[in-house]
Amino acid sequence: MTEKILVEYREALRAAMDEEMTRDPNVFIMGEEVGLYNGAYKVTKGMLDKWGKDRVIDAPIAELGFAGLCIGAAMAGLRPIVEFMSFNFSFVAADQIISNAPKMYYMSGNRFHVPIVFRGPNGPAAQVSSQHSHSVESLYANFPGLIVIAPSNPYDGKGLLKSAIRNNNPVLFLENELSYGDKMEIPSEEYLVPIGKAKVVIEGKDLTIVSHGRQVLICMEAIKILNGLGIFPELVDLRTIKPLDITTVANSVRKTNNCLIVEEGHYFAGIASEVGFEVMEHCFDFLDSPVQRVCQRETPMPYSKPLEKETLPNEGRIVASVRKMLNR
Amino acid sequence: MFDRSSTIKKLGKELLLENLKRMLLIRNFEVRAEAAYLQGNVGGFFHSYIGQEAIQTAAIQALGPKQWYITSYRCHALALLLGATANELMAELYGRANGNALGRGGSMHFYTPRLMGGFGIVGGQIPIATGAAFALKYQKIPDQVAVCFMGDGAVAQGAFHESLNLAALWDLPCIYVIENNFWGMGTAVANAISVEKIAESKAVGYGIKGYTFNGMDFLECIHAFDLLYDEVLSTKKPVLAEFVTKRFKGHSVSDPGFYRSKDEVKEDMQRDPIIALRDVLIEEKMINLDEFKTLDKSLRQVAIDAMKHAEESPWPSVGTLEEDVFAP
Repeated sequence: MTEKILVEYREALRAAMDEEMTRDPNVFIMGEEVGLYNGAYKVTKGMLDKWGKDRVIDAPIAELGFAGLCIGAAMAGLRPIVEFMSFNFSFVAADQIISNAPKMYYMSGNRFHVPIVFRGPNGPAAQVSSQHSHSVESLYANFPGLIVIAPSNPYDGKGLLKSAIRNNNPVLFLENELSYGDKMEIPSEEYLVPIGKAKVVIEGKDLTIVSHGRQVLICMEAIKILNGLGIFPELVDLRTIKPLDITTVANSVRKTNNCLIVEEGHYFAGIASEVGFEVMEHCFDFLDSPVQRVCQRETPMPYSKPLEKETLPNEGRIVASVRKMLNR
Repeated sequence: MFDRSSTIKKLGKELLLENLKRMLLIRNFEVRAEAAYLQGNVGGFFHSYIGQEAIQTAAIQALGPKQWYITSYRCHALALLLGATANELMAELYGRANGNALGRGGSMHFYTPRLMGGFGIVGGQIPIATGAAFALKYQKIPDQVAVCFMGDGAVAQGAFHESLNLAALWDLPCIYVIENNFWGMGTAVANAISVEKIAESKAVGYGIKGYTFNGMDFLECIHAFDLLYDEVLSTKKPVLAEFVTKRFKGHSVSDPGFYRSKDEVKEDMQRDPIIALRDVLIEEKMINLDEFKTLDKSLRQVAIDAMKHAEESPWPSVGTLEEDVFAP
C-alpha cells in the first residue's frame, strides 16, 4: 500500500515544483516575493534557501516584463514557472501571455515552442473588492494554444502542476487563495495527474453538477444539503478547463439526464456557457430539463461581505437552482 | 574610435563584397516582394526594410549567426541574413505550404533557428529578447548575446522600460538596438519620444551605456556592433544603441507617406547605404560599376526566381488547419 502524507494545498504545490526542479535543471521559478519573502501565500516557502537565487528569482513589480522575459527564456530552452501574486495582475502582462506565448508554436511553423507555467491565485478571496477578484479562466481559455488548469484539491494540484511543468506548451495554472490551507492526504511517492481529464468526484443519479476549482468544494456542501432532501447529484470536477474533457461530462449527463454548471466567474461567455453548449451538442436527446447554471452575477466584485457572498455562487443558490430544475 | 580605413582593412575585399551582396539581396527581395504584393500575390501587412539594410547586415557580419536575434514585424532582412532562403521567404509571403512558417506567419513572422521572430505588436519582442539573454546567463554560455531590434516607436511602450530595467538589474547580455527611422507609422519621432539621442538619453536611467551611430553607413555599423559586443561581454551589462536611419518606403505597402515631402525622401535616398558602400568599394578598386550592375542583376534574378518558386509552390492543405496548435 502506498504511504500517504497529510499536506496543505500550498505544500502539495511546493512539492510538485521541488520534484520538477530536481528532475530538470532548466526549471526555475520567478515572481514577486517568491524568494526572500517566501511567497506572498507561502507556496514557495523555503525554496530560495533550497535552490538559491539563480533558480528562485524575486522579480520587481513588472508583470509585463518578467512574464515576457520568461516566455523568451522558454523559447530559448528553459522551462520557467511564473508566479503571479494574483492572476488579476496577469492583465498587465496580457500582451505577452496572449500575443506571444500561445501563438508562437503555430505561427512559427513549429519552430519555437513555449514550455512555461503561469501559476497563482485566481478569482475572489475574502473581501478584496473588484480589482483583485476576477476569475480569468474564460478570458484565457478563449485563446487557442493556451492550456488552462484549475484543480480543486491538493492531490490534483500536485499531480497537475507536475504535468504542467513537463508540458511543452504555455499553461495557466489557476489556484485559489482560500484553498492554500486546505489539507488532504496524498501519496508520498511521485505521481502525475494527466492534463485534460475531468473526474467524477461524487457519484449520483438525479442530475450532474459540473464545476471546477474552489467551487467544487461549495458544490460538495450543497450536495450534502440536497442529499438530505433525497436528491442525489453526480459531481464532475473538470480539473482541466482547456482542453475540455466533454466526454466525462457527457457520459454523466447521459446517465442523470439533467445538468447544472457552477462557476465562480461571471455568466456572460463563461466556462458554464461553453460547457452548457457542448452538453446541448452531445446530450440533446438525453436531457429532461434545460441546462442550468449558477455563476457570479454580472457586477464587479463588491467589498461588503453580504454583497460579496450574494454575487458568488453559494450553497443556497445551488440548492435553489437544483430544486427548481427537478421541481422538488 | 571609428576609423574607416582600418575597418575596410579588417574586413578585406572578400567580406566587403559579400556584405554588399547581402544588402543587394535584401533590396532586390524587398522590391520584388512588394511588386508581388501589388500584383495581389501577397496579402496582409508588408513592411519594407529598404533604406535600413546597413544596420542588420553589419550586425550579422560583426556578431555572427550564433547569437539570439529578435526583431519587429520589419523582419525580412534579418531572416535572409540568418540563412533563410529567398525561396522559402517568398513562399511564406505567398502563403504556401513550404513557406518559412508553413504559411501561418506571413510577412511579419519570419524565423530561423536563431531568429525568434518577427513580432507583430510594437515592443512585444523586447521582453522576449531579454528572456533569451536571461537564458544565456542561466545556462552560463559566456560568449553569446541576445540582439533585440526595435523601431523608434517601440521606445514609447511599457515593454521597453520593464525590459531595460530587468536587463540592467540582472546584468543580462543583451544588445538593444533602436533603428530610428524617424517615423512611427505616420507619427514623427519628435511627436512620440520626449528626448533626442534616444539611446544615450534613456540608457542613463538604467545605469547602462548608450550610443548613437549612423545607420546609413555600413562601415560605421560594423564598428558599432564590434564595440557593443565587446561592451556587453566585458561589462556583463546590456547596452542600448540608436542607429539613425531612414526608410525609403512607407511604414507599410498601404502607406502613401503623405506626412513627409517627396523632396525629403529624395534627399534621404541620396544617402542610400548600398550606394554608399558601393562607392567605397569602387574607390578601393574592389569592384567597378559594371561588376556592381552585374551583381545587382544576378540578385534581382534570385528574387524573380523566388517569385516563380512561390507561385509554383503548393497551397497548405486545409486538412492541416488545426494541426500544431499545441506542441507535442
